[in-house]
Amino acid sequence: MRIENHPIIKNFEKGRRVLFEFDGKTLEGYEGEPIAIALKANGVMVHRHTSNHGEPRGVFCAIGRCTDCAMIVDGKNNIRTCITPLKENMRVETQYGTLNRKETESI
Amino acid sequence: MTQRMKRTRSQHDFVPLADDSLIICRCEEITQGEIRKAVYDGMSTMNEVKRYLRAGMGLCQGQTCSHLVQNIIAGELGVPPGEVETHLSRSPVRPIQMIELAQDGGEK
Amino acid sequence: MKRYELIVIGAGPAGLSAAIEAASHGMPVIVFDENPRPGGQLFKQIHKFFGSKEHRAKERGFRIGRQLLEEARRMGVEVMLQATVLGIYDGKEVSVMRDGQVEHFKANNIIIATGASEKMVPFSGWTLPGVIGAGAAQTMMNLHGLKPGNKVLMVGSGNVGVVVGYQLMQAGCKIEAVIDGAPRVGGYGVHAAKLARLGVPFYLSHTIKEAKGKICVEGATIVKVDSTWQAIPGSEKVLDVDTICIAVGLSPMSQLARTAHCDMENNAGKGGLVSICNEYGETSTPGVYAVGDVAGIEEASSAMIQGKIAGVAVSHSRGYLDTADFNNQVAQHQRSLKQLRQGMFGHREKGQNDPTQTEEGYPLSRTLLERGYLAEEELQNYPGVRFQKGQGVRPVVECTQNIPCNPCQDACKRGCITVSGKITNLPAVDEAVECTGCGMCVVSCPGQAIFLVDDTLAPGYSGVSIPYEFSPLPAEGSKGLALDRSGRVLGEVEVTTVKQSRVMDETAILTMKVPGDWSMKVRSFQPY
Repeated sequence: MRIENHPIIKNFEKGRRVLFEFDGKTLEGYEGEPIAIALKANGVMVHRHTSNHGEPRGVFCAIGRCTDCAMIVDGKNNIRTCITPLKENMRVETQYGTLNRKETESI
Repeated sequence: MTQRMKRTRSQHDFVPLADDSLIICRCEEITQGEIRKAVYDGMSTMNEVKRYLRAGMGLCQGQTCSHLVQNIIAGELGVPPGEVETHLSRSPVRPIQMIELAQDGGEK
Repeated sequence: MKRYELIVIGAGPAGLSAAIEAASHGMPVIVFDENPRPGGQLFKQIHKFFGSKEHRAKERGFRIGRQLLEEARRMGVEVMLQATVLGIYDGKEVSVMRDGQVEHFKANNIIIATGASEKMVPFSGWTLPGVIGAGAAQTMMNLHGLKPGNKVLMVGSGNVGVVVGYQLMQAGCKIEAVIDGAPRVGGYGVHAAKLARLGVPFYLSHTIKEAKGKICVEGATIVKVDSTWQAIPGSEKVLDVDTICIAVGLSPMSQLARTAHCDMENNAGKGGLVSICNEYGETSTPGVYAVGDVAGIEEASSAMIQGKIAGVAVSHSRGYLDTADFNNQVAQHQRSLKQLRQGMFGHREKGQNDPTQTEEGYPLSRTLLERGYLAEEELQNYPGVRFQKGQGVRPVVECTQNIPCNPCQDACKRGCITVSGKITNLPAVDEAVECTGCGMCVVSCPGQAIFLVDDTLAPGYSGVSIPYEFSPLPAEGSKGLALDRSGRVLGEVEVTTVKQSRVMDETAILTMKVPGDWSMKVRSFQPY
């Protein structure tokens, strides 16, 4: 999914390659890029499941407005991954509901 | 749940539509049918619908659905969307954690 | 509490321009922006802008963004990033959230330049991952170098839809279709034509019925609508896409203006709820201004001028600029703004009417509006197409709508192309002036609507030169497919020359050797 050869933009500014954890798996991304970008580059589409219907959600606005891309990052829930920079060894988890109570919230 | 007071001014029963199950407010998962029913039940402004259903009260604070809710209310009332009273715009206009608000130093 | 002469909210084109202007007159200015990078949407705009030289036409948006940041730095404008303004209070006080702390600032003047948010359209499955806003697509591919998807459906044929659609193709995605509920293309015809000749189908009077898939988008169903926007049963089409991109319009982000108690109006032409402003952008709350998309949806070029006008006005109101200079500068900027607002896509015209001819009386192309490309037989209607056999190399200017734009005129040093009178008039080619085939007009056209045709290239063959913005660049002597304006494959051709230089700003010129009778047909090249 990464663009290797763009006709207009000759280089995309990226930090160094780092490893991070997504739901227990180790993935690779660039330091400083939004977490959501690193996830999508690894083919991750689903960021969370909604409280009431348990629907999958992913990146929608990509600029921190809609909060559909919210996940649990280093133990903190409702983190907008489209505007939160990736750090080395970050722990990113799929979120269930807004409070992340998988059992009580989702149906 | 306790019986809500009947506020509808309509003489007819509520008429469901085929696409009433469409999600309109993505954050609070409020459907088109729920909003239409709210208008049928007497809610005629954005604020009323918001307080009645929580549409626009989620994490994004109505940034995605406000227009859609406004259009649905307008459609149900048979008025142009611009005539539907929009909801209040008050500080904070972006989501903020209670702890951040609580630590606000104010005038200094 | 910190005090400033001027607080600007939003570091996009309007806000930065306002801040630079005020700072240039000596005002202490601070700009707040909630994003981690300044520039607003400018850094996602990788296409060349329309307008004239003074509007920075034919420059790419992200380069304009870099210049604005450089100017702001030089003028000593303080830009505070990841600083979210939460509200505006009495006494022109603002509260700003930064690093988990709320701080308060006060100013004599506030300029609101918060821009716009995307409108959305709900349909079954629109909450599935893979359904994204057009802005999200731009953010992913143009800022972060990531393809939003492989096979994309674009919902909306306005300028955002067609511009982002083209950028998606430049990023290496395939656009399966552009659809619009309206019966005609909403954006500039030249933008639509760029997509059509790459083979992208336009389905007008079509809406999206459903996004298919359980976990993420695996397809889309579109359906034709009648004149009352009701779906016509049986007209469904299923498209094999993994991404659905929504570009159905923008709405002004006016919450902050409302917290400042500005008088508001619902204005459909401006995209929704906007504050009522005077000619300088000042709202009903004295000292509070609104500029750019938050004051009414327009282009970045007009946003920058509005910003300058407000910057001049606050400088004058605080005594940093004398009245004579103020009047001069405002008059100059307003002239410039007025130019941009002319034409069939202008401020007032937008969606208000359905013209059948240009202001000069040339007929508008129905195929362009209904299918996204010009029909060959319509070409002769326009003053930019004066091609005659046996003349040698000639520019063919396929510009057919009143758009405020004239870089083609400046590009031709010999005066072969003129945009006379209003900036929105169609460019005319003077048959009497000899063309050297330099191609500067081809690369200067932000709409990529200028081609060179040389029917004296070789006996029985013509040379057709086209602007080309895809990677990798074909090699000279390589072969590929020649496509017509509708994206139909005509046959195999050879690329004879590939021109690229710094001044062309990443727009290459490919010259193809084509059979003589294809010279007015071939408009696109697809490498093998």
